[in-house]
Amino acid sequence: MIYKNNFHAETQLKLSPFFERTSKLNESQEWRRWSGYLSATNYELSHENEYFAIRTKAALLDISPLYKYIIEGPDTQKYLHRLVTRNINICKIGQVMYTPWCDEDGKVIDDGTVQRLSENTFRITSAEPNLEWLQYNAMGLNLKIKDDSKNTAALALQGPNSRKILNTVAKDSLDQLKFFWMINTNIKDCPVSISRTGYTGDLGYEIWIDPKDALTVWDILLEKGKSYGITPTGLHALDISRIEAGLILLDVDYISSRHAIIESRKSSPYELGLGWAVKMNKKNFIGKKALEKELARGPEWEFIGIEIEWDQLEKLYREAGLAPGLPSTAWRTSTPLYYNNQQVGYATSGAWSPILKKYIALGHLKSNFAMNGTILDFEVKIEHFRKLTKAKVVKTPFFDPKRKRSCPK
Amino acid sequence: MKHYDVIVIGSGINSLSSAALLGKAGKSVLVLEARNNIGGMASTIEFLPGYKCNIINDTIKWINPKLLQELHITSADLQIIKPEITHIALGENSKHIYFHRDVKKTANSIKNLSEKDANNWEDFTLYIKKSTEFLERLYQNTPPKLPNINVLEALSMKNMLNPIIKHGTRGIVDLLRTTPMMMLEMMDEWFENDLLRGTLSSIGVHHSSLGPFSASTGYNFLHQHLYSNGIIHHNTFIKGGTFKFAKLLKTIAESYNVEFKINTKVKSIKLDNEFCKGVILENNDEINSSIIVSGVDPKNTFINLVGIPNLNPNFHTQVRNIKYRGSIARMHFLLKKLPKIHNIPIANMDTMFSICPNIEYLERASDSMKYGCLADEPSISFCFPTIINPDFSSDEKHILSSTIQYAPYYLRNQQWGSETNEVLKQTVIKTLENYIPGFNKLIESCTIYSPKDLEKEFGISEGNLNHGEMTLDQFMFMRPTINTAQYKTPFNNLYLCGPGTHPGGGLHGTNALNSVKEILKN
Amino acid sequence: MSKINKYDAIVIGGGHNGLTAAAYLARAGKEVLVLERRHVLGGAAVTEEIFPGFKFSVCSYVVSLMKANVMRELMLPHFGLELLPLESTFTPLENDYLMRTADADQTYREIARHSTRDAETYMRFGPRMGQIGMAVRPILETIAPNAIRPSLSDLSNLKNLLNHVKNLSSEQFEYLTKLMTMSSADFLDEWFEFEPLKATMSASGIIGTFMGPRSPGSAYVMLHHYMGDIDGAFRAWGFQRGGTGGVSMAIARSAEHFGATIMTESSVEKVIVKNGKSVGVALENGDEYKSDMVISGLDPKLSFLKLLEEKDLPSDFVQSIKNFRIRGSSGKVNLALDGLPNFTCLPGEGHHLRGAISISPSYDHLEKAYDDAKYGNFSKKPFMDIILPSMLDPEMAPPGKHVMSCFVQYAPYNLKGGWNDSKREAFGDAVVNTLAHYAPNIKDLILHRQVLTPADLESTFGLTEGNIFHGELTIQQLFSLRPAVKWADYTTPIKNYFQCGSGTHPGGGITGSPGEMAAKKILGILK
Ligand SMILES: Cc1cc2nc3c(=O)[nH]c(=O)nc-3n(C[C@H](O)[C@H](O)[C@H](O)COP(=O)(O)OP(=O)(O)OC[C@H]3O[C@@H](n4cnc5c(N)ncnc54)[C@H](O)[C@@H]3O)c2cc1C
Repeated sequence: MIYKNNFHAETQLKLSPFFERTSKLNESQEWRRWSGYLSATNYELSHENEYFAIRTKAALLDISPLYKYIIEGPDTQKYLHRLVTRNINICKIGQVMYTPWCDEDGKVIDDGTVQRLSENTFRITSAEPNLEWLQYNAMGLNLKIKDDSKNTAALALQGPNSRKILNTVAKDSLDQLKFFWMINTNIKDCPVSISRTGYTGDLGYEIWIDPKDALTVWDILLEKGKSYGITPTGLHALDISRIEAGLILLDVDYISSRHAIIESRKSSPYELGLGWAVKMNKKNFIGKKALEKELARGPEWEFIGIEIEWDQLEKLYREAGLAPGLPSTAWRTSTPLYYNNQQVGYATSGAWSPILKKYIALGHLKSNFAMNGTILDFEVKIEHFRKLTKAKVVKTPFFDPKRKRSCPK
Repeated sequence: MKHYDVIVIGSGINSLSSAALLGKAGKSVLVLEARNNIGGMASTIEFLPGYKCNIINDTIKWINPKLLQELHITSADLQIIKPEITHIALGENSKHIYFHRDVKKTANSIKNLSEKDANNWEDFTLYIKKSTEFLERLYQNTPPKLPNINVLEALSMKNMLNPIIKHGTRGIVDLLRTTPMMMLEMMDEWFENDLLRGTLSSIGVHHSSLGPFSASTGYNFLHQHLYSNGIIHHNTFIKGGTFKFAKLLKTIAESYNVEFKINTKVKSIKLDNEFCKGVILENNDEINSSIIVSGVDPKNTFINLVGIPNLNPNFHTQVRNIKYRGSIARMHFLLKKLPKIHNIPIANMDTMFSICPNIEYLERASDSMKYGCLADEPSISFCFPTIINPDFSSDEKHILSSTIQYAPYYLRNQQWGSETNEVLKQTVIKTLENYIPGFNKLIESCTIYSPKDLEKEFGISEGNLNHGEMTLDQFMFMRPTINTAQYKTPFNNLYLCGPGTHPGGGLHGTNALNSVKEILKN
Repeated sequence: MSKINKYDAIVIGGGHNGLTAAAYLARAGKEVLVLERRHVLGGAAVTEEIFPGFKFSVCSYVVSLMKANVMRELMLPHFGLELLPLESTFTPLENDYLMRTADADQTYREIARHSTRDAETYMRFGPRMGQIGMAVRPILETIAPNAIRPSLSDLSNLKNLLNHVKNLSSEQFEYLTKLMTMSSADFLDEWFEFEPLKATMSASGIIGTFMGPRSPGSAYVMLHHYMGDIDGAFRAWGFQRGGTGGVSMAIARSAEHFGATIMTESSVEKVIVKNGKSVGVALENGDEYKSDMVISGLDPKLSFLKLLEEKDLPSDFVQSIKNFRIRGSSGKVNLALDGLPNFTCLPGEGHHLRGAISISPSYDHLEKAYDDAKYGNFSKKPFMDIILPSMLDPEMAPPGKHVMSCFVQYAPYNLKGGWNDSKREAFGDAVVNTLAHYAPNIKDLILHRQVLTPADLESTFGLTEGNIFHGELTIQQLFSLRPAVKWADYTTPIKNYFQCGSGTHPGGGITGSPGEMAAKKILGILK
């Protein structure tokens, strides 16, 4: 039975350039606020199909609410090199780098991608507004920072079929586009840039579009993607896949040091599993001194993956007379982790992985317990009672298909 | 190239004192000065051929006695002129107030205007004396690093105990009450006469951007009276001009083998991973040293010489937030002959004069700071350098040197330049004319230093003579920032010794004394 | 007439602090008598139906600083305390407006319309100020020690506070120092760039003071206004259902519930002192009441210079009280309206009418208003903090009608030539004209107008010089110096005579704090 949707409401929330389409497609009418935008949580009544689109077909997500900044000018490379923890000096034109950036105490402010659009032009994306910090640190340098958030619409096309779809609609072939690189091309006369990036841990692309072309690009993607199973996808499905991919989420897995009002809420890149992105051989960057010290004494916390072991969980449920109750969507409530009856950490987000058939979670753990294979106790609530069940520390990503990085021969 | 133990940037009184003290301690020291002469703001120059004056400070309020002691400076080396009449507050109706070194005489002079105020005078001077005694002690200490003060630091403040023993904790309480006060409150508590309230308030706002209705001007009032022994309007003059003091310090420094380079502008401080290695000069020459001591203001030191990209964001914020806001202009008039001031005998003209008929007048003048305009009726203090130092003039002509408050560094909708200088000059002439009839006709020429000019000439940010406002948020452990108030900076081997540090501005050398103590500790 | 004439304690003044002290003492089993000069209770926290059908919160109009533990301990919700949230702060501008609401995202977007940078900074600023507020709390909740001759408990209080301060982070300490010493404009300039935002925020730094936003010291007053909590949530402003008097009435009912006797129209003339001890009070009508102790909820000038003889007090104390600064600077204009004001920049009815409306478009607007007062005039274009109580509680006005409360600065107590009827009306006109600039229809809506000058605040409410805080909130009048050194712990040089008004630590506003702390000090709960 189809009910015609005639909802008309005035809202003080922002609407993305794709809203005209997404609002009609959103059968569930479930929305979440994302950076002040109305953003679909799931288009269908259940998000399952959307999740499997990510992992087996192609999922189309409106990611316009991301914050985007264009930085331009002769000093840009030098500036970004000092701002972020990764080595921007080796970032080539058309290359994209994922990186955190820190305050001077080496605590993470935000994480995002840095895209080199030309010799002296970069785009930086972030979860939270960062203009103040970006501008502040640019003082005295020859460059301009533009808040580009509203001027660029963005879509994520993620999943094994995503390349095939783009190859049918884009002027240029994407076959040779490597992981974390981007190209400028056209989709039906609309100039776009396409980066091979995403937040799902799968083969996938993000498309950066002039808002005036937004609907054209959306329409053609849906049209040509139909035979490849393209599926408009909401945040519920995304959340599960990003956990499978072991990717952190600001304000869920960590708090920006700019907003944390107490020290213990702040995290260093090492404490977020981003040590690989900190390039200590760089001469100087914001937070280096503090991170050097931290490295020397070893970080206090580590960010880890855990697998909640099945057998005991099942047993606990059985005792209550129930089949194992599994979360249908990803959860975000801080959950204690114990070792020998002593709390040694907390999980910050978790989900049942439909593809792995495992109950997984991400969390913070005191460093001395963070070895792979350590068995912890994870708190679960079964029929109103808190119980402990075994969970194992494992390496992330939980799910890491080859296609994520590979190119067709 | 020679490697020095210490490079001192700048050659103002504090830089010179630091150089001399470090030289005395056996360090090899090089002083680098951008201008064509040493002395910084303590400059006495021929502003016109044949006529000299102190460009900035007519008088000297106090010199730290410890500095004189450590550098073995005697009154024969440095001749201080201490006029018996330290100041004359000009009254609108020619009823002036004479401030004498003798408290009773001052009270007598006040008596003509208010019996009540005259009766309060001696108590007032005692009250100020008591409070300044505490400050004198406080000024000798390196400010503690707050809030996490450790036992050693706490113990180092124990010299504060003496005045406590002498005056009881009541003295401290009075000090705590007085420092945040506005001059208006202090005056309301003590005096009723307009002229007295006005002229005393003008001390509280001396070289400040605040008006007398602003909290913490009480603190500035105390600051101006350290070592004054309760003599209010404590003005003394250096024979031969303030430059004599600078020159003397240089001579002493040279006796300790300190080297000097003038016309040598430092372009930047050479850093290697937060270690200072030396300096790079304007001509790109490099000079290396183990330690750098900066006598220039915090903004110049950190923003310009160290450079923003080398500053931690948080420290950068703190440095940017330091307030300067130059508020005065200087004007030197060459006069055809000595003018006559209403009702002032020539014999009494060897002192400082002020025009500030009442406290509201001063507050109105200060409003110009808020709105970025020139005051219509500025508060003016002036003297005749050629009377105090007769050799400053080569003939019968005289000089009138004046300080005009308020002249805001930041003007709205206009720029400092010859036009504004002319407007300011006419305002000053008009004001002086009320007290010195015929003044305009006597003027042969006039040299003006607006805050912009002062900034350019002396390299002081925004033309602030104190290298940063003397307010409570920039006082002691907050001066210049909460983490650099110990004369140390976030950069190893880089120290500060200028008035931008505790205890602030003036030709007293205390900053240098404290700073050198810290340098030698390490 | 009261039943008995010997009490354990007599409280002079039925302001909310006097009532709070009375309630605490009664709750501890004391026989308490409250004597209020006026026919209504509440002092500056009062509701009166000035025009039939229109109820005014005559003086104070919003509640935020009221201590949560006082509300609980005196069971105020049970006795009628009902605080409705104010939704927003709305600053009308020439062709635009600035709006901040309870929703963080929306506030971000509204500020970002003017400055993205400020919008971001704003998100950081609030929590920071909250942190500083928290850092200050323990200081406010400690009995101010005697700085001249500290007692053992003073020393231990001091030690605790020092430890507390030592444990602050360097950043907190830095901000705290700045807030204690700077002007609110200077402090905000360090954070923000959009002037109407800064001006509106700085306005909380001038409320009740004789300072402009650029006057050093105003940052502390801003912090003072950041320390409020309603329902334990920091910084939210609320409106008492039925008007501010409801708060005082709730306290009064609580006091009566615990057994206190409250008498109105009983003006105290003198505190009776025998051998350096207070033994009771004498009313203007000649009645006398005896009691073991007397507690004054009036301001320090009245408590000591009016109710006592100078000869009974040490001369340095008298001098201190004379020097105590209590310059009034605020006025109040209450309007009965035939309909809703229509703002040119945001026409029609909307969320903006259910919150605070601030006439503070720029620093210059505020500073110029201050300049007028500095030199003895009322502001020609005043700063105003406005609310429309009837939008939050329809029962404040007849159906379809509205009441509007305008808190106005500046109106100096010492007006050149003094206040009189025509100056009062001229002041009222200045307020209405300034408002009409933003909401032109206002003039046609006014049915009745009540104008209160500082002189009126003094004569009607017994606020010396019309100062709304019983004494200026300047650093040298805080903590151990409020109202005078040695006597900041609610005691006085007269034995058994205590003080509990806003002129004591921690100062003014509807907080209940001085009343609570004084009572607890008397009862030996706080040392
Ligand atoms: C116009 C105005 C607006 C304000 N706005 C706010 C606001 O929005 N929010 C806020 O938190 N605060 C506000 N305040 C401040 C706040 O109202 C006061 O600080 C607080 O109410 C003072 O309470 P109190 O009990 O200490 O003193 P008061 O309320 O002044 O109480 C003193 C009482 O003593 C009585 N009295 C005087 N003399 C005698 C005598 N001889 N005998 C017997 N009784 C006597 C008086 O009538 C009065 O009832 C405002 C104040 C004013 C004036």
